[in-house]
Amino acid sequence: MIVAEIKPFEEIKNMIKNYQKVLIVGCGSCVTVCLTGGERQVELLASALRMARKIEGNDITVGELTIRRQCDPEFIEQIKDEAAQYDVILSMACGAGVQGIAERFKDIPVLPAMNTMFLGVSDGQGTWVEVCAACGDCILWKTGGICPVARCAKGLVNGPCGGSQGGLCEVSKDVPCAWQLIYARLVRLNLQHFLKDISQQKKQPVRPRRLVREDLRLKKEPTKGV
Amino acid sequence: MSDKAIPLCQAACPINTDVPGYVSAISRGDLERAIRIIRQVNPFPSVCGRICTRPCESACRRAQIDEPIAIAALKRFASDQTKGLKVVQPPEHFYNETHMPTKVGTKENENNPPSPPFSKGGMGGFPGEKVAVVGSGPAGLTAAHDLTLLGYRVTVFEAQNILGGMLIEGIPEYRLPKDVVKEEIDYILSLGIEAKRGLSLGRDFTIEGLLKDYQAVFLAIGSQKSLLPRCNEVELTGIITAVEFLKQVSQGERPLLGKRVVIVGGGHTAIDAARTCVRLGSSEVTIIYRRTLDEMPAGKAEVEETENEGVKIRYLTAPVEFLGNGNVKKVRCIKMQLGELDESGRRRPLPIENSEFEIEADTVILAIGYIPEAETIKDSGLILGKNGTVVVKDDTGATNLKGVFAGGDVVSGPSSVIEAIASGKKAARAIHRYLRNLPDEKMEEYSAFRLLDDGIVKLISKSNMQKVSTLPIEKRINSFAEVELGYNFEQAVKEAQRCLSCGTGAVVTENCASCLNCVRICPYGVPVPGREIAEIDISQCQACGICVSECPASAINLKLETKEQVRAEMEDIINIAMKEAQEILTIGFYCQYKSPAGHPGGGNGVYWLGKLCTGRLDVFQLIYPFELGADGLVITVCPDQECHSRDGSRWLIKHIEKAREILDEIGIGANRLSIISDVEELSDFRKRLLDVGINPLRKGKKVKE
Repeated sequence: MIVAEIKPFEEIKNMIKNYQKVLIVGCGSCVTVCLTGGERQVELLASALRMARKIEGNDITVGELTIRRQCDPEFIEQIKDEAAQYDVILSMACGAGVQGIAERFKDIPVLPAMNTMFLGVSDGQGTWVEVCAACGDCILWKTGGICPVARCAKGLVNGPCGGSQGGLCEVSKDVPCAWQLIYARLVRLNLQHFLKDISQQKKQPVRPRRLVREDLRLKKEPTKGV
Repeated sequence: MSDKAIPLCQAACPINTDVPGYVSAISRGDLERAIRIIRQVNPFPSVCGRICTRPCESACRRAQIDEPIAIAALKRFASDQTKGLKVVQPPEHFYNETHMPTKVGTKENENNPPSPPFSKGGMGGFPGEKVAVVGSGPAGLTAAHDLTLLGYRVTVFEAQNILGGMLIEGIPEYRLPKDVVKEEIDYILSLGIEAKRGLSLGRDFTIEGLLKDYQAVFLAIGSQKSLLPRCNEVELTGIITAVEFLKQVSQGERPLLGKRVVIVGGGHTAIDAARTCVRLGSSEVTIIYRRTLDEMPAGKAEVEETENEGVKIRYLTAPVEFLGNGNVKKVRCIKMQLGELDESGRRRPLPIENSEFEIEADTVILAIGYIPEAETIKDSGLILGKNGTVVVKDDTGATNLKGVFAGGDVVSGPSSVIEAIASGKKAARAIHRYLRNLPDEKMEEYSAFRLLDDGIVKLISKSNMQKVSTLPIEKRINSFAEVELGYNFEQAVKEAQRCLSCGTGAVVTENCASCLNCVRICPYGVPVPGREIAEIDISQCQACGICVSECPASAINLKLETKEQVRAEMEDIINIAMKEAQEILTIGFYCQYKSPAGHPGGGNGVYWLGKLCTGRLDVFQLIYPFELGADGLVITVCPDQECHSRDGSRWLIKHIEKAREILDEIGIGANRLSIISDVEELSDFRKRLLDVGINPLRKGKKVKE
C-alpha cells in the first residue's frame, strides 16, 4: 500500500488560510489502511481546523467526505455536487489522490493534507516500512524477495558496499543492511548463485510513466492524459 | 430455526426479554430505560423479579467465568424502584367493524396490516370488538393486557373474588407479597380492562354464552385440581392438598396443623407449603420426595433457604399408606432408588424392597401434581386431553371451537409464571390475527449464541454475584414478611455491571477498509481477517469498544451505544451546562465500572458523563467538548490492571496525549484537558482553569450557531 502521514497542523492551517469554505476529502483505501487519511482523521482534522480558525476570529465552514478511492475518476465524480459548494478541497489522500481530484475539479484549488511517504508493508501495530521503489524493473526473483533498490540506503543493485557492519547499514544503525539480508536469504534458499548475475545496470525509468493496456481497451481513442 | 442468533439469556426466556438491554441500562443507573425495555414484553415485572424460574440465569454465560448474573433480582430492582411510572399507556383508539380488512391475502392486507396504536378507531360510542378472558392468572391477564394495547375491549372473568389466580392464591406472601401482585394487576387493569369477579365458568356462564357477546374467548383457568397419591387411607382427616392449604392461608385463615407436618412432593408448591407450615408454628416439618435434589423442580437455592428455616427433606422416599384412626397419625414410607431415564428425562424412582418405615404426622400435605378442573369445561365441546388439559391446535392456542383460544396451565399442565405469560402473549397475537382476518403468522424463531471460547473466558476477570440480602431466620419463621430484601442501588448497578453484555458488541459495516487494525488491537482477539472485510463474531465480542474508537474508517458500530447517541449525550450535557451559565464550564468523563454509585467528584461544578469504560473515548470525543464550548475536560483513568476492558486505560492515555497535542496546536491549550484521580486533583485543576480563563472559542460569538 501507499503509506502517507498527515502534514504538520500548522502547515495545513497556512495552506487554507485564505479560504472560508473547505471541503476535506478522505480516501478509503491505502491511507485509511495506514490509519492516516480515513473518515476518522477527516472528522478530527475538520474539528481542529474549525476551532483554530475560530480562535483567530476567522471562522470557516468545513465539509467532511470520504470516498472509496481518490485515484479513480468514477469515485471522484460522486462528490461533484458537494465540491461545487466549497472554495478549496483539502485532500487526505496520497499525491495520486490529490492529483486525481485536481484533474476532475479544475476550477477549485486542491491541497494536500498529507505527505506521501512510500510503498510499504505493515510491520506490526502502528508501524510501516518501505519495501518497494516502483522502479519498473523488478529483480526480486534474484534477490531472495528483498528489494535492494528500496531497502539499501544507497539503492545499490550490486551490493553490499563496504559500509555494512554486523548486518547493519552505516547510514543508520537502525537499518538492516539490505544486501546482508539478501545474502542470508539466498544462502538459506540455496540460491546464492543468483548473486553472480545481479550486478548488471538496471534500466532507469523515463518519467512520467504511463501504462496503457490495449488488451483491456475496446476503443482506440486517446487516453485522457492526466 | 432462523440464522438470527441472540444472547443465551434472551433465547432462554419464553418471551425473549431483551435481558442485555435492561441489564445494561441498570449498569448505567438508568432505571427508567430498564423498565421500559422490560415492560415492552412483560406486564408482570415485579412478580417475575421475585418468583420467575429464571431460565435466563441457567443459560447465562457469565457462569463460564464465575456465577450467572442475578437477572431476576435486577428485574425486581428496576421494577420496585420505578413504581408509579406509567410506562405503558392505554390505547387511544379501539377497533370496530367498520374498518375490517376485506379478504385474507389480498394485496391491500399485505401492504397495510393494521398496526397499533390505530388511528382509525371506533371513537365516539363504537364499542369495538370485545374479547372475553376467562381466568385472571398471569396467562389471562397478560393476554388481556396485550389485547387491550392492540385496541380490543377486554373483559376478564374470575371465579374468585380477587384477581391473580395462583399468584395470589398459590404463592405465599413471604415469597410474593400480595401488595406487589395487586399493584401489578391494578396497572394492567388501568389500561382499560373490565374485571368481573366471583363468576365461575360452568356455574355462572358458559363458553357458548360468552361467544354471543364477545367475538373471541381466551380460556386460562389454570390447573388447580390436586392429584392424590395411590395410597390407602388418603381420605383420613388431616390429609389436605397443598393448593387448598395455600389458598386458605392466602385468604388469611390459619389452619391448625399440629407440631408434625409431612409434605409429599418436590415441586415449588411442596416447598411453599413446607415454609408456610414453619411460619404457622409447626416445629417438625418434613418434605418427602421420591427422587433426589438434582431432579427436584424447586431450585437449589430455594431448597437451601427452606432447610435453613428448619425444614427436613427426605429424598428418595415415597408414601405407601397413611395410618390413623379418623385422624392421620403416621405416614408409612418406602425408600426409593433411581433407575433408567423416564419420559420426563429424569431417572425413574423405583422402590427398594423391605425398606418401609414410618414418620409420625399430625398433618399431611399433598403436593404431587395438579390437573385442570375439567368439570367446568366438560360440556363446552372443547377437546380435552389426558388429565383434562385443553387440546390446542398449535402454539397460538387455537382450540377446536371457532373463536375460542386457550393457554396457560389449562393447556400445559402446571408450569411457571413466565411460561403462562408467554402463552398469554401468543394467544393475544393469535386472537388479533383471527379477529382481523389476517393469515397465520410464522413465529420468528431464534437460535442462541454459542458459549464463550475458552481463550476469552480466561481473559475475563472474576467477580462473584452480589448476594441478595434476606430476612434473618428468626424474623422469618414468625411472620409472612418477604424473605428476599432485594438490592440497593449500588448492589444492583454492580451486579448489572457483571453482565458480559452479550450481543451488544461490535458490528463491522461495509465501510471497512480491511486495514486489520481491529484484528491487531482487540484485547480479546475476537476480530479476524475475513475474505473481504474484517469479521467480528458478535457472540464472542466483549463490547469494550476499543476497535470502534481505533477504526480509521469509522466502520465499526457498537450496539451498546451508537456514535449518534454518544455525540447527542455530549451535546445535551454541554447545552445544559451552557444554559446554567457556569463561570467556568468543566466537563468530566468517569468510568462507571470504577464508580458504580455515580460520578466521583460531586459539588465541584463539573458536568459529569459516565461511560461504561472510558477506554473507548476516542480522540474526537476528547476535543469535541471544546468545540462545543467547554473550558476544561477532566477524565478519570482506571489503573491499568483494574481496567474492565483490559487495554482500555492504556488506549485512553494514548488518546488523551493525542488530544492534548491537538489542543496545543489549535491554540486552546493542552492544560485544559487533564487526568484526575481524586477530588483534590479536581479542585486543583479547577483553580488552574480559573487562571487560564474561558475557552477562547467562547469569546465573542456563541459556539456552533
